[in-house]
Amino acid sequence: MGKVIACYKWVPDEADIKINSDHTIDLSKAKWKISDYDKNAIEAAVQAAQVLEGKAVSLTFGGANAKSSLKDALSRGPDEACWINSDLASEADGFVTATVLAAAVRKMEDVSLVICAEGASDTYARQITPRLGAELDWPVITSVSNISINGNTIRAERQLDDCIQTVEAELPAVISVLPEVNDAPLPSLKAVIAASKKPVTELGDKDLGITDLTSKTRVQSQKAYVMIRKNIIFTEGDALDQVKELVGNLKKEGIL
Amino acid sequence: MDRILPFTDEHKMFREAFGKFLDKEAVPYYDQWEKNGTVPRDFFKKMGDKGYISVWLPEEYGGPGGDLLYMIIQTEEYTARGLNGIFVRLHGDVIAPYIYRIGTEEQKKLWLPLAAKGEKIFAIAMSEPDAGSDLANLQAKAVKDGDYYVLNGNKAFISNGMLADMIIVAARTDFEAKPHKGVSLFLVETANLEGFSRKRHNKIGLNAQDTAELSFVDCRIPQEALLGEENRGFFYLMEKLQQERLVAAVNALGQARRSLDVTIPYVQQRKMFGKTLAKFQNTQFELAKMATEIEMAQSFIDQLTIEHMADKTLTKEVSMAKYYCCELASRVSTKCLQFFGGYGVCEEFPISRQFVDTRFLSILAGASEVQLVIVAREMGL
Repeated sequence: MGKVIACYKWVPDEADIKINSDHTIDLSKAKWKISDYDKNAIEAAVQAAQVLEGKAVSLTFGGANAKSSLKDALSRGPDEACWINSDLASEADGFVTATVLAAAVRKMEDVSLVICAEGASDTYARQITPRLGAELDWPVITSVSNISINGNTIRAERQLDDCIQTVEAELPAVISVLPEVNDAPLPSLKAVIAASKKPVTELGDKDLGITDLTSKTRVQSQKAYVMIRKNIIFTEGDALDQVKELVGNLKKEGIL
Repeated sequence: MDRILPFTDEHKMFREAFGKFLDKEAVPYYDQWEKNGTVPRDFFKKMGDKGYISVWLPEEYGGPGGDLLYMIIQTEEYTARGLNGIFVRLHGDVIAPYIYRIGTEEQKKLWLPLAAKGEKIFAIAMSEPDAGSDLANLQAKAVKDGDYYVLNGNKAFISNGMLADMIIVAARTDFEAKPHKGVSLFLVETANLEGFSRKRHNKIGLNAQDTAELSFVDCRIPQEALLGEENRGFFYLMEKLQQERLVAAVNALGQARRSLDVTIPYVQQRKMFGKTLAKFQNTQFELAKMATEIEMAQSFIDQLTIEHMADKTLTKEVSMAKYYCCELASRVSTKCLQFFGGYGVCEEFPISRQFVDTRFLSILAGASEVQLVIVAREMGL
């Protein structure tokens, strides 16, 4: 009967990010969106809430511009939304974000499960889930590609580098899901229209009773990574010669 | 320049979701649908599952209860991708509204949820081999025989005609009355209908659209299938023309924009005489003129949309819009094709489809000449 919380981040659309000539990043033209992987987390929460016969709640920590995300999140199925509206969000590191989210989860009653994506599509830092579990002192399962819930137990398949590991934990728990966990369906028009009628709770960071919200890390600079390509084209001889030369060069570089 | 249409967050979210849906479910398959001469039934069902058919339909009949702007968005998203032959809109936004408006409660409860789910596909049969724009002259007839009407006649150029499970057929029921006073509408189910046959028209474009010629020979239609009152069919057909013409103009303008959108990147990379086509003044002037016409038309259409949503009568203006935008779409695709040279007539290049598809626009849903007659009449000429 408990609530299932889906955490999501409102991020700039990577397709709109421009790189300036000095390699600085220009976000001024970027549209914002729910981080792609978080859409899977929201769908997973909606499905889990159905199994638990509880409510799915979307939760985000963002500045004023994250207001635009609330209806979008709700159109994907959650019953209600919670928005921690704070200017601190844009500079927040994993510590601050997890502290805020954990406080918000504590404020909600009867939470059975918190679902995050494995990482956000802007930073992909993979910090929030383990930190959130530590803050709440709940079991943590990461890299989840399949979920089943039976009573008060969650069984999850973890997709690791060389194996699938199946683990179980008692609820409440915090998990992070991979995109493979579901298809994150597009919202129906009925769901889009219904989203504006669903309840939204807006809280400020001061409503959460947290004393220390100072980031433990500071961003010194943020620049685009430039891959230098050698642009070597093998044109001599026939295809067989060219492949041989390519393979020889790759071996020389230590790649093969 | 921002558009003046009052798009809300919900409209914007819907535009994004619907665009992604088309990118996933239609764009990768559309070339094959063109070859097959039809959009598969499965696509109607996928649309229905998402509540993307009959977006205006109230929830009590299985729809999402959206407004006209959702239909405008759908039209713009189809045309932006060159999906010109998908006539789910005709099924859900032109034909289903007849049932909603004039059907009995029983007819509404039966057909509207099926339409919205995409489980049954609708067509409307007005035009005949010898009666297109002069609809009052239609020859198909339905004669009462006990609890049935006996339907005879031929229909031509019927969109969705091959797929249709249910066709609204306009037929003469009063042979003594003046031409426009003796026509009735019937909800004709095609499954197991004795005496019914259909044949695909082979067209020069809009190939994914299954346009058909229909034949009814002594088809027995139950009297419960009469839609609205007997002999008022002509008036029913005229009642919603304002919205149909407005949406036809939106569709045409979207197709004009698509033609320009596929041409601009081409002229920017195609080199001739040592420079790109885009650097020639002729290219710049022609494309600038077309872009200007499109933006001017967009402002007019958006203004009309707002006034139409406020229930204003815009008989003259929607005919102007329908006429102008359809002619514009055809003119733009013709001029744009010229920039592609020989490539423009090769199917691999999307402008070739734009060229043939847009040629239909000034003929469909009330030919340009019909619109001009209305405009002139409204001008007191």
